[in-house]
Amino acid sequence: MSESLLYFFQQVINGLTVGSTYALIAIGYTMVYGIIGMINFAHGEIYMIGTYVTFIVVTALASMGIEFLPVVLVTALAISMLVAGSYGYAIERVAYRPVRGSKRLIALISAIGMSIFLQNYMRLAQGPRDLAMPGLISGGWDLSGEGPLALSLSYMQAIIFIATLVSMGALTWFISRSRTGRACRACAQDQGMTSLLGINTNKVIAITFVIGAMLAAVAGFLLGLYYGVVNPMIGFIAGLKAFTAAVLGGIGSIPGAMLGGLILGVTENMTAAYFSTEYKDVVAFTLLCLILLFKPSGILGKPEVEKI
Amino acid sequence: MKAAFKKTLLSAATSIALAGVAVHAVAADTIKIAMAGPVSGPVAQYGDMQFIGAKMAIKRINDAGGVDGRQLEGVVFDDACEPKQAVAVANRIVNEGIRFVVGHLCSGSTQPASDIYEDEGVMMITPASTSPAITERGYEMIFRTIGLDNMQGPVAADYIIHHAKPERVAVIHDKQQYGEGIATAVRQGLEEAGVDVVMFEGITAGDKDFSGLISKMAREKVDFVYYGGYHPELGLILRQSRDAGFDAQFMGPEGVGNPDITAIAGDASEGLLVTLPPSFDEDPRNADLVKAFKANDEDPSGPFVMPAYAAVQVMADGIEGADSTDPYDVAEYLRSHTFDTPIGQVAFDEKGDLKSFRFVVYNWHKDGSKTPAN
Repeated sequence: MSESLLYFFQQVINGLTVGSTYALIAIGYTMVYGIIGMINFAHGEIYMIGTYVTFIVVTALASMGIEFLPVVLVTALAISMLVAGSYGYAIERVAYRPVRGSKRLIALISAIGMSIFLQNYMRLAQGPRDLAMPGLISGGWDLSGEGPLALSLSYMQAIIFIATLVSMGALTWFISRSRTGRACRACAQDQGMTSLLGINTNKVIAITFVIGAMLAAVAGFLLGLYYGVVNPMIGFIAGLKAFTAAVLGGIGSIPGAMLGGLILGVTENMTAAYFSTEYKDVVAFTLLCLILLFKPSGILGKPEVEKI
Repeated sequence: MKAAFKKTLLSAATSIALAGVAVHAVAADTIKIAMAGPVSGPVAQYGDMQFIGAKMAIKRINDAGGVDGRQLEGVVFDDACEPKQAVAVANRIVNEGIRFVVGHLCSGSTQPASDIYEDEGVMMITPASTSPAITERGYEMIFRTIGLDNMQGPVAADYIIHHAKPERVAVIHDKQQYGEGIATAVRQGLEEAGVDVVMFEGITAGDKDFSGLISKMAREKVDFVYYGGYHPELGLILRQSRDAGFDAQFMGPEGVGNPDITAIAGDASEGLLVTLPPSFDEDPRNADLVKAFKANDEDPSGPFVMPAYAAVQVMADGIEGADSTDPYDVAEYLRSHTFDTPIGQVAFDEKGDLKSFRFVVYNWHKDGSKTPAN
């Protein structure tokens, strides 16, 4: 392959990696929106908590002398999903359920308050500084060419792709085939009717929050390992990007969140690659504006009929 | 019952209010010095350097009898290195009637805060902000006890031209006042000497993924990277470069030179070049002071510790020398006198900058230590 082609594919790989992580976080926004029609602004903070828990578990295991990689990874992932899931449940119970019946704006303000609370709570609990962790998985494959210009895929990038695809697959199966998933879809269509038919809507909504939080924890775990740095503020930018991805793909649509994330990631990287790194956010958000102008419901979103 | 409760509440409130008055009355005898810098946020480490230096100076001056018999009192304010918060902090300092400020740390927050101090007649000495723009506005009350980017940039450029001798240089910055300023100064120095600067790009502070930028630098066959900014981003760039097999030589200003870059980048931080103020803690004249820091379990080697000490010291000397706590008199005195401080002889020019300040190039090591590079 020629050098410029290698470069192009390398940037596609880089973009898809970033995009997958946007997608994982975006799912949480889109699921909650799809079912109760509110934006959970504290979602980025759940991702941040997931990363912290990963760091804590890895460090704790290392201090106990357990360094066998699969054990470390599986334990860290399981515990961070568990902790993030319980945060998801608690947030819904404390900050959203009491205001669910009222105006949308009130729930939104409650969500922003929750987000600020979690940031500062983590800042007090874990300190304001960047925590760093050495890379656990390094190295990768040279797919074509050699030297610094080779088309390379690191193990970590491969793990991020695969984990994203598996999570998406599992989620799609859950929503379309399982009993609880059907209840979720029913809730999304008409909460009142679902309730009349004997389904506990409160429980379904709580489950939605827990699942969204767990996916954010998966993203937190993966990105924690990939970047090796965490501070209490990382949730804000990550949440903003993921929210953009969700809107781009069509908020409320799960495949849309996936597609939106990947498009956003690749667009950003292509801008950085062929234009300038300085403009990557400008181009990404311009794209968002264009989509909203010409297709306000997003790429895969269905135009919503206002329920009265 | 209810009435009794009300009464208790009332008396509690009253006693709290009275306590406030009492504290205020005692504090009126001291000279308050505000220490403004980041207690939180991604660059809080530098804030610590500033605070331990300033606090040590305050303690030693107080132990020696204070300033004209009055004790100094340091009050810490957190600006998180955010321009918005810095303005809020500056307003609070003014409202609390404090007339002397040591800080702020980041040039981006020093700039807006200094507007307020100048207007309100508060004297400010920054021990860390190196952006030339801060003292270019003809302000009367703004000083600094550190060098400028246009002193630091040429040192870096000079080292690159005469020692590193790279073929293709990339200059990257974080688009903030400090980072972009120094990156521009370095690029200018390099281009004047005919070194090929093939890339000049900004990244976004707080970004985590630089794989796109690194692929681009690899394609441009860059063999030397100068980064203007702080350590969280450079740490990740180093780490991701190592993973991507991109092995150019990296260099940065004093904003990247602290042990946290090693924590983030690990082995990839070995051999990083950093321009820093000289190690004042290794100066034999400061041996006594260094011992005092070590006795407190504090690290005197950070680049801003001694400049912060010097800032407090010249303030105290100025108040004593001018025989006045009016910041205008003190500022006048600072401009016309020379002070002997841990960072050497300090004299200010008309703008409030140091008349001379030296930067040195260091080699950073993966255990967080540093050695002079030439």
